[in-house]
Amino acid sequence: METLQYAIRKLLYSIPLLFGVTLIAFTLMVYFGPDLTHNILGKNASVEQIEEVHRELGYDKPFLQRYGMFLKEVFTFDFGNSISSGEEVTDILKRTVPVSFAVALPAFIISNLLGIGLALMAAYHRGRFWDKFVMVFAVVGMSVSYLMIVIAFQIFFSTSYGLNWFPVQGWVDPPPEYADAGFFEIAYYYWYYYWLYVTVPTLASVFVALGYNTRFFRAVIVEELNRDYVRTAKAYGIGNATIMVKHVLKNALIPIVTRIIISLPFVIIAGNLVLEKFFGIPGVGLVTYDAITNGDLPVVKAVVTCTAILYVFALILTDIVYKLIDPRISYSK
Amino acid sequence: MTQPSTSSPPPENAPGESLWSKSYRKFMRDRFGVAALVIVGIYAIVALGVWLGLWAGNWSELGEEGFLGMTREHWFGTNINGQDIFARAIAGTKTAFEVGLIVAVTSTIIGGALGAIAGYYNGTIIDEIIMWLYGCIDAIPFYLFVAAIAFALEGTPYAMHVAMIATFWSSTCRIVRGEVIKIRNLEYIQAAHAIGVKPMTIIYRHITPNTFHILLVQGTIAFVGAIKSEVILTFLGLGVVDGVSWGTMLSESINDVLRGHFGNFLAASGFLFFLVIAFNMFADALQDATDPKKISN
Repeated sequence: METLQYAIRKLLYSIPLLFGVTLIAFTLMVYFGPDLTHNILGKNASVEQIEEVHRELGYDKPFLQRYGMFLKEVFTFDFGNSISSGEEVTDILKRTVPVSFAVALPAFIISNLLGIGLALMAAYHRGRFWDKFVMVFAVVGMSVSYLMIVIAFQIFFSTSYGLNWFPVQGWVDPPPEYADAGFFEIAYYYWYYYWLYVTVPTLASVFVALGYNTRFFRAVIVEELNRDYVRTAKAYGIGNATIMVKHVLKNALIPIVTRIIISLPFVIIAGNLVLEKFFGIPGVGLVTYDAITNGDLPVVKAVVTCTAILYVFALILTDIVYKLIDPRISYSK
Repeated sequence: MTQPSTSSPPPENAPGESLWSKSYRKFMRDRFGVAALVIVGIYAIVALGVWLGLWAGNWSELGEEGFLGMTREHWFGTNINGQDIFARAIAGTKTAFEVGLIVAVTSTIIGGALGAIAGYYNGTIIDEIIMWLYGCIDAIPFYLFVAAIAFALEGTPYAMHVAMIATFWSSTCRIVRGEVIKIRNLEYIQAAHAIGVKPMTIIYRHITPNTFHILLVQGTIAFVGAIKSEVILTFLGLGVVDGVSWGTMLSESINDVLRGHFGNFLAASGFLFFLVIAFNMFADALQDATDPKKISN
């Protein structure tokens, strides 16, 4: 019950943030954004038609009223129709979010777990060979461009210049002959093709994220290692490995969990424009990429707003999780 | 680059020595940091030369033959239009420095100024507003934010710069704010208060100079971030429109590599990689050398 109250209070505190995020999205994309009249009517519209569309889209109304209309769109989760395909934006999101999630999830889990593991190792051997070894690789990983890795991995894994193990592009889409196949057959089909298509993008994402993650986690753990309780524990004769996992890692959890939760909205919805475009994965990223290049405002608007709002909720979630993992944090503040 | 003479090292804690000269000595002892700085310096000279028109002015010249292999005349071959890839990569250095410097300097100044003000007025409405501002900026995913700004500034080639500046200041602001909150409780600030120095004078005369080491490091980080983002943004069609950059070259190379022409890819990614890794190592060394906590002991 106390947790619920705490959560509600955090939610109330985040209202200014939600307000600001929607205001920025509105100002940039709707108020100063492109005029959609001609996208709807085509080039040869009469003056009356143009005026009517203007009225419909609210172009003749003052700033605050239009912001109100935008907020209504956000609250009812109705962002209108895509300009290029005419499909409802909400439907597009419903179709693409699971795909993006499925693509991003393995890389997200692997890069975080591996990052924590490597960081623990580096911090454990602080200043010695393995620390330097891991950190040099982290800097190299941070220094390569994402685009470069994606191109290099595609050449290496998916073309005849390299191993040629995986398809260049594509996504799971069962052929028609599977229409009346049994559940297990379809499940197997999905499972097999899922990994076939997701492996190279996952490797590329892990490669790029790992450097940043390892450095961040190592810094957190090293800071924790400098605290007095570690010395005390050593004085009591507790083994180094036990101190690392049982005490240091536990105390370093707050920044680690913050980083992980805060990056969740970007995994769930923002997708990955470069990755999905490059590997032809029909997720949010690809849709957004197309929307950006075609100037399809409603789609970009919806993706930006949804991600930003989810991010604010992720911040609230971190506050609640802090409380759960750290009993020193009180509800009252 | 002059190496300090190693024969007679100055005493460790010479009286009256400033933190800056201590930092300088500490930095000069960091071999990786100095090497990184030399590499960055070479890139800077290359960029300056392009800017002055000394070399690589022929990057847009169309050759008679596309997709030439690596020859003595064309070190990385030619691209689809027969343009010399090496010259394009050199010319791209200028674009990278242009984007990096504009974004790094502007975003660091904005972040530093707002951070100092927020930290000084910690706990008041001014602090709340600035925190709210960077909270909002952080909530919007970067590439989509750039797209949004590109929508708003339709047609201007500087949408990319504006967007990067508008997002990169937030991390500097956050760090400077934290530092200033610590500084403003020190006695010398209270003393300045007591003799009636104006708040703005205190902030800019007495507080900001003590955050310069943060600004320096944040500036290098922003520089790297800007160069790397440029590549992605150009790929997304939001970046460099006219002129040549490593981003345009990498985007071009996507079609080339599937046909077996690696010149564009190797040249652009090689140039990019060495500059970014040198800058990253430089930033690390700078951070170690200028951290007052680490210098004093």
